[in-house]
Formats: sequence, structure tokens, C-alpha cells
Amino acid sequence: MRVTMKKGKQKNNAATRAGRKEELTAYLCLIPAFLGVTLISYLPTLAVFVLSLFDWNGITKPEFIGLANFQRIFTKDIYFWDSIKATVWYAFLAVIGAVVYSLIIAILLNMNIKGRTLFRSLFFIPYLLPAIGVFKGWEWLYEGNFGLFNFVLRMMGLPKQRFLDDPNQVIPCLVLIAIWTSGNLIVIFLAGLQNVPGVYIEAAKIDGANAWQRFWNITIPSITPIIFYNVLTALITHLQVINPALALTNGGPGKRSMFMSYVIYMYGFQKNKMGYAAAYAVIFFILVGIFTIVLFKTQKEQLFGEEE
Amino acid sequence: MLDLVATLIVLLLALLVVLPIWWIFRSSLMSTAKLNEYPPSFIPHEWLWANYSKALETFEYWRYFRNTFSIIIPAVTFGTVTAIFCGYAFARLRFRGKKLIFNICVGTILLPSMVTLLPLYVVWTKGLGLGDTYWPLILPYLTGGGFFNIFLIRQFLMTIPKELDEAASIDGAGRMRILWTILVPSIKPAVVVVAMMLFIQIWNDMLQQLIYINSMSKFTFAVALTNFTGSFGTNWPVALAATFMTILPGIVIYIFGQKSFVEGIVLTGMKN
Repeated sequence: MRVTMKKGKQKNNAATRAGRKEELTAYLCLIPAFLGVTLISYLPTLAVFVLSLFDWNGITKPEFIGLANFQRIFTKDIYFWDSIKATVWYAFLAVIGAVVYSLIIAILLNMNIKGRTLFRSLFFIPYLLPAIGVFKGWEWLYEGNFGLFNFVLRMMGLPKQRFLDDPNQVIPCLVLIAIWTSGNLIVIFLAGLQNVPGVYIEAAKIDGANAWQRFWNITIPSITPIIFYNVLTALITHLQVINPALALTNGGPGKRSMFMSYVIYMYGFQKNKMGYAAAYAVIFFILVGIFTIVLFKTQKEQLFGEEE
Repeated sequence: MLDLVATLIVLLLALLVVLPIWWIFRSSLMSTAKLNEYPPSFIPHEWLWANYSKALETFEYWRYFRNTFSIIIPAVTFGTVTAIFCGYAFARLRFRGKKLIFNICVGTILLPSMVTLLPLYVVWTKGLGLGDTYWPLILPYLTGGGFFNIFLIRQFLMTIPKELDEAASIDGAGRMRILWTILVPSIKPAVVVVAMMLFIQIWNDMLQQLIYINSMSKFTFAVALTNFTGSFGTNWPVALAATFMTILPGIVIYIFGQKSFVEGIVLTGMKN
């Protein structure tokens, strides 16, 4: 019997009958993953790349036009540059807003507060509400004449605002909704704060460090990895924003909320320009892909630790 | 002293966070005339439940409720079960190509759903003729529910000592029996998280429901409410009544399930 020192003891496993049975079980268990990976993920992505080289309205025969779609997007498309601006600006504000908001509340809750669990629950509710209900409800809050916010402004003697109808205010307004529903981050940060090893805090106290010093030098570094991870995942999520446009703004007013995902939706599902929408999707894929790769590179070892 | 200040700030913020929900509810119970009155009343003088019956006349709430859950329940079940199978394979079984397959699965995270949507739509509707059905919304969940869920199950299974498996197999239990009767109950928090994450994903998925569902009888909440409010013009109270009715299940879920949700969220966001 040969004893091999190869990395990958898996190879020897298949040499025995039991080993082959184990292998077969594994492959059977993984059928869903195989299907998903090929049919739902990689093949469609490949198809999008191919589709982007064609002109197709979904019904008649597709026509090969090479890179013409891309050329048109970069030079003549009326939405492209606005969509990048809107998407990046929204994602940037939403991520910073949500993380700062959640972190501050988590820090407050981590202090000696009565009813901490109750408060945490209250901040968490918006996260569980269905997106469509949230948007339609906030549409009323933002209403131009009688919405809650305008009532408050009126009570303070300030002029009423158009909010969702105002090109300069629409993105911050949508971002506020995103922040409101980010109660899950509060929960995560709070758990992180409470997991700071008590021994370090105690040792610091013994050494004479005051609360502020303990906070800066122990607590913050402890939760920095959690913050970083959640910032990156939030960024990737928010770059793909589409629901506010679908439910409320349809890209307006004046293209200020024309998110990239929404433009793809518009071209592909409303204007029936499938090849063109596919080209858009390729560009979008690259944009999001850059950030995802950053996430990967910085988190891969800890997050997706591989087999020994 | 600092703690007291913190408590007050938190209290104020918590009230501000809950205010929108209350405001929607309160507005749905007023008449259009009263709604536009200034100064606005915080609590309505008369509670106009008629707004709700008026909304129900054209907004078929229970139908949409059934529709929405007839997607969510199978999809969440399929996704959770297949995630368990796949996670088990990675956690416990040895097989050739394990590392390669694992990396391929990890790579799927790079692919935003908007990118794969177009070809999938073409295949589902033109290729398979399943437009205006729920199949395109449910079947994809037979693939493990996204790699993140498979990974979570795998991580948790890896923390269960193999001795447990071995003891059971000495007693004659086969692999599947061990998996479902011993391992899965041991990783219950992870299973709950996976189910939860899938639930929230579908619950908030407006886009796919919009593109795949065309007939009104098949509308889910998301599609129905998007189309509905337009048809009521500026009758805000009635529109808000419909809105609040769709929010209500979320509040109910919160009341009954928030403990599991909260624990689950912690698991997703913390690196151990």
C-alpha cells in the first residue's frame, strides 16, 4: 500500500469502498449547490456578457453588434453618468449614515441603561417591516403639503419642502429611510460591544485608565473588524439599490435617483432593449465587483477559511 | 449621571424611530379633511375604521397575503433544507474536488442579482413559459439559498464534535439519520438564521415579484401596493390603510419572533 504525502488527503479516501460511498453522498448532497452555481450564477453571468454584444428586443432575432452598446452607453446614453452619480452618492451616504447611526445607538445602549432590551427591540422593528409598506408610508411623511415633516417645519416657522420632489433633497430623503431600517446593524454592533473581553477592561481599570481611555484603546479596536465588515457588506448592498426607485421615484425627479439597477430594469423590462440592458449590467457588475473583491481580499481568511 | 443622560437620549431616539409607524397608523384613521388640518392632531379624535373597509373593497388584502406567503413558505423551506445538505457535505464529508467546488461557490458572491436577472428572466418566461407563475420565485431557492447560508451551516456543523457522529454510527445510524436527528438540532440557531435571512430577502424583494407576476389575482403585497396607491389618487387615508395592513404582519412577526431574529442577526454580522 502506497503512502502518499500529497496535500489533499481526499485522494486517498476514494481508494476505499467506504471512501467512494462517502464521496458519492457528498456529491448527492451538493446537487443543489451544483445546480445553483451553474444555472443561477455563472451561466447567466456568461449569458449577460454575450447578450451585451447583441441588439435584441426580446421578440425578434437578436442582431450582433459587437461593442456598440458599450460605446453608446459611454457616449450617448442620457442616464449613464447620472446613474453612476446617483448610485454612488446614495450608497456612500446610506452606508455612512447607517453605520454612524447604529454605532452611536449601540454605544449608548451598551451603557448602563434600564430597559436596554426593550429599546433595542424598538430600534429593530423597522428592519422587519416589508419594504413596500415602508416606502409608501414614508411617502406620506414626506408629502409636500401635509406630511409629517412639513407639519413640523411649519410649527417651527420654516418653509415647507418638497422632499421627494426636490432634486437636491431626494437622495438624502431616501437615505434617511435606509438609515431608519438599519436596526440590524444596531443589534450587531451592540453584540460586538458586549463581547469585548472583560479581562482587558478590568486590567485597564487596574492600570488606572478612565472610561474614555478604555473606550478608545480597548473597545474601539475590538469592534473595528466588525465595523469594517459591516461597512463593506452594506456598501455592496446599497450599490445595488433599486427599491426606492421602483416604489417611489421612478428615477426622478429629473434623473436624480436614477440608480444603476433601476436603469437596467428600465431598459430591460420596460423598453425591451435586452442587449443594451445587458451591457449596462456588465458595467454595473464591474463596479460592484471591485468593491466585492476588496471585501474578499480583506476578509477571506477569517471569513471563508478553507479546508485544512 | 452619564448613564441617565444616555437613557434619556436613547428614549428620545427610540420614540423618534417609532413615530413614523404611529403616524402612518394615525393618518389611516382620519378623514381626508381632518388629515390636512393644521395643527395636526397626534391622536385622531374619531377613529375612522371605515377607511380600512374602503381599502379592502379594492385592495384584496387576504388574497395578497396568501399569495405572498405561498411564495415565502416553500422558498424558505427549500432554501433552508438545501443549505443544510450542502453545508453538511462541506463540513463533514471528504471528497475529491472539495476545495475547488468550495471556491467556485464562494465566487458566486461576486455576482449581483441584477446582473443575472436578465438572462434568467428570458429563460423562465420565454424558454420555460413560466411567466406569471410563482415558479421563478421559488425554484431558485432549491440551490442552497445562496452561498452565505451554506457557509453558515458549514461553520456551525464544524463546531459539533465528530465524536457525536461516530457514536451514533456505531449504533448503526446512517449519515442522513445522523444529520437530521442529531446534527441539525444541535445547530438550531444557525438553521433559524438561515430561514430568517431567506424570509427577509423574499419579503423585501420587490423587483422579481414585479417582473414575474402579471395578473392581479397573483399579486403579492409588493406588487399590489405599488399599483394600488396610484389608483386612489390623493385619498391618502385609504392608501395608508392599505399600507398599514401590509406593515402589520411585520409588526406581528416582531412581537412573536424578535428574539430569534435578534440572535440570528448577531450571527450574521459578527465574525467569531
